[in-house]
Amino acid sequence: MLLGTKLGIGALTLATLTTALWFYLTRQVALPDDRSGFVLAWMCSALLGILALIKATSLTGRVPPALAIIVSSFLTFTIYISPQKVDVMSVIKVGDIIPKFQALDDRKAIFESKSLNGHLVLIKFFRAHW
Amino acid sequence: MRRLEELRAEFDKRNVKLITVSTDLPHEIADERHLHGLQATMLSDRDLKVTDAFGLRNTAFHSGPPAGGAEALPVPATLLLDSAGKVLWIDLSKDYQRRSDPSVVLNAMQTYFD
Repeated sequence: MLLGTKLGIGALTLATLTTALWFYLTRQVALPDDRSGFVLAWMCSALLGILALIKATSLTGRVPPALAIIVSSFLTFTIYISPQKVDVMSVIKVGDIIPKFQALDDRKAIFESKSLNGHLVLIKFFRAHW
Repeated sequence: MRRLEELRAEFDKRNVKLITVSTDLPHEIADERHLHGLQATMLSDRDLKVTDAFGLRNTAFHSGPPAGGAEALPVPATLLLDSAGKVLWIDLSKDYQRRSDPSVVLNAMQTYFD
């Protein structure tokens, strides 16, 4: 087996294992504050991938390192863009009464916030269904 | 979402109403409910009116779908309200990849609802 192919498989293996752990912890709502270990692993994977591309001589041998580079770079990018920010002047605060609102539910029925009166309520604003 | 449902018995014990707000369209919410199974009233807020009323629009980098989606996304947040609609507790994510474990929500319910 060519050296580049071996490096490429190594790069993809590292990227796959790191990414699998990432998604497992994501599903468990348990990603750590410090994700530098993931970044380090993905960067190593991407560097291995680049080395593999330099060394590889067959077209097929270029697939694993290319995948490793794409996956590792993308997921590292998501960490970079993950910080969230709200307008501190307008964000609702403890002690505030919630604004009146209405919205459609998943059956396209109109929901009125006044229906919450008299109930203890948990409201969750979310981005993704997992 | 899926992990929040782990607290079902705690919600039922306190008769807590669960509401979720996302920018997904109603049919998208209906199609994806099976992914988490959360028993909640799930609201669509594609135009961000509810999100903006609560001041929860993310003003940092917009990482949502590039086309056809909402112009921004809410900052992931969980709020507990009393029966008069007063906010008792807010958990605001400073990072969308970091969420509070359900145990944090349970602790808050024990503190503010019991």
